[in-house]
Amino acid sequence: MRVHFAIAVVLGAALITATPGLAHHSNVAFEVTKVVTITGVVKAFEWRNPHTWVILTVDDGKGGKVDWGIEGRAPGVLLRAGWTKNSLQTGEMITVDMSPAKDGSKTGLVARVTKADGTILPNAGPAQQ
Amino acid sequence: MSTPRYVVSMLCLIAFTCAALHAQSTPPDFSGVYYPINPFGAAALGRGAPPADAKGKQKGPPPRPTQSAPLSDGSQGRSPDAPSLTPAYMAKWEIIRKSRMAGSSEYDNTAKCLPPGMPAMMSMAYGMEVMQNKDKITFFSELNDALRRVYLDGRKPTQKILDDPTYAGYSTGHWEGDTLVVDTVALHEASFIEGFSPHSDAMTVKERIRFLSPGLLEDRIAVTDPKALTKPWETVKTYRRATSGNDELREFACAEGLGDAK
Repeated sequence: MRVHFAIAVVLGAALITATPGLAHHSNVAFEVTKVVTITGVVKAFEWRNPHTWVILTVDDGKGGKVDWGIEGRAPGVLLRAGWTKNSLQTGEMITVDMSPAKDGSKTGLVARVTKADGTILPNAGPAQQ
Repeated sequence: MSTPRYVVSMLCLIAFTCAALHAQSTPPDFSGVYYPINPFGAAALGRGAPPADAKGKQKGPPPRPTQSAPLSDGSQGRSPDAPSLTPAYMAKWEIIRKSRMAGSSEYDNTAKCLPPGMPAMMSMAYGMEVMQNKDKITFFSELNDALRRVYLDGRKPTQKILDDPTYAGYSTGHWEGDTLVVDTVALHEASFIEGFSPHSDAMTVKERIRFLSPGLLEDRIAVTDPKALTKPWETVKTYRRATSGNDELREFACAEGLGDAK
């Protein structure tokens, strides 16, 4: 019983550290008119509603690494913009244009993703005019 | 014995008149999947296609996006075409605005996986599916899997319905030529008119829905609320019917990520 509890604590801690800021936010949590660019390695890509998530491991500029949690549009919207559930693979290098969170946490809102080969994954497909 | 010519003429005339009357009484079929025209505002998102030159040829990479989403926290003030609120409801809006500017989802129902409610749900930002038969037309929104039914069989809201308000409200409709006229009542106060402005339980919505051209659907929406609005608020939504290959909406299981929404 005690062992099980210990394992649960370890697993729980691992989950928490693996998913920084993986709470669901409204767009109002981000500075949507500001876009910054970060490049890093995909640690996880969560294809789920109401928002997708990219967990990105980025150099912190001090010789270390830091994880960013970047919230993206819903799977339905991204499918129509050309994404799939397998668009991002763990371990691949990507560049993300994103709006930073108002609270200064290491989270952002995706504006677009650019893969290493230059492929652009946008937030929306061509205008339906 | 051959049929006299005038009898044939009479029969033809009757058949023609009946066909014409039938055509007039058959309402258009709105069924299908639609996407709103420019749901997020053209400038708001980094779209996939690079800019085209004068000949329509695409050149270079698409420009870097300058926004990730439309600005919707109220920091830009109130749009001139926003609902005209009474002082009491303007005071409520100021509270909501402060909360949103601080980054809180407290007043954002869709962020909490709640239905957007009428008339906000008719923005249909993620796409809409219309299902129609003689007695009922159903509007489904991919965003938050929200649904509303419009009864066309002549029924009217009962007192029991009026005493039990909901997000989508209770809608009844009838055809005026090719236009579907819909009245919505029994809307509770927990939603926002266009997603931001508060309203009272006295709000009612009238819509006129028609095809502008084949596949191009228009919804003219008029909102009345004697407690919250100084005058009726009117807005127009336009949707284009999806083409083959783009005509399936996806499941929106909002609670998947509800977790600790904040």
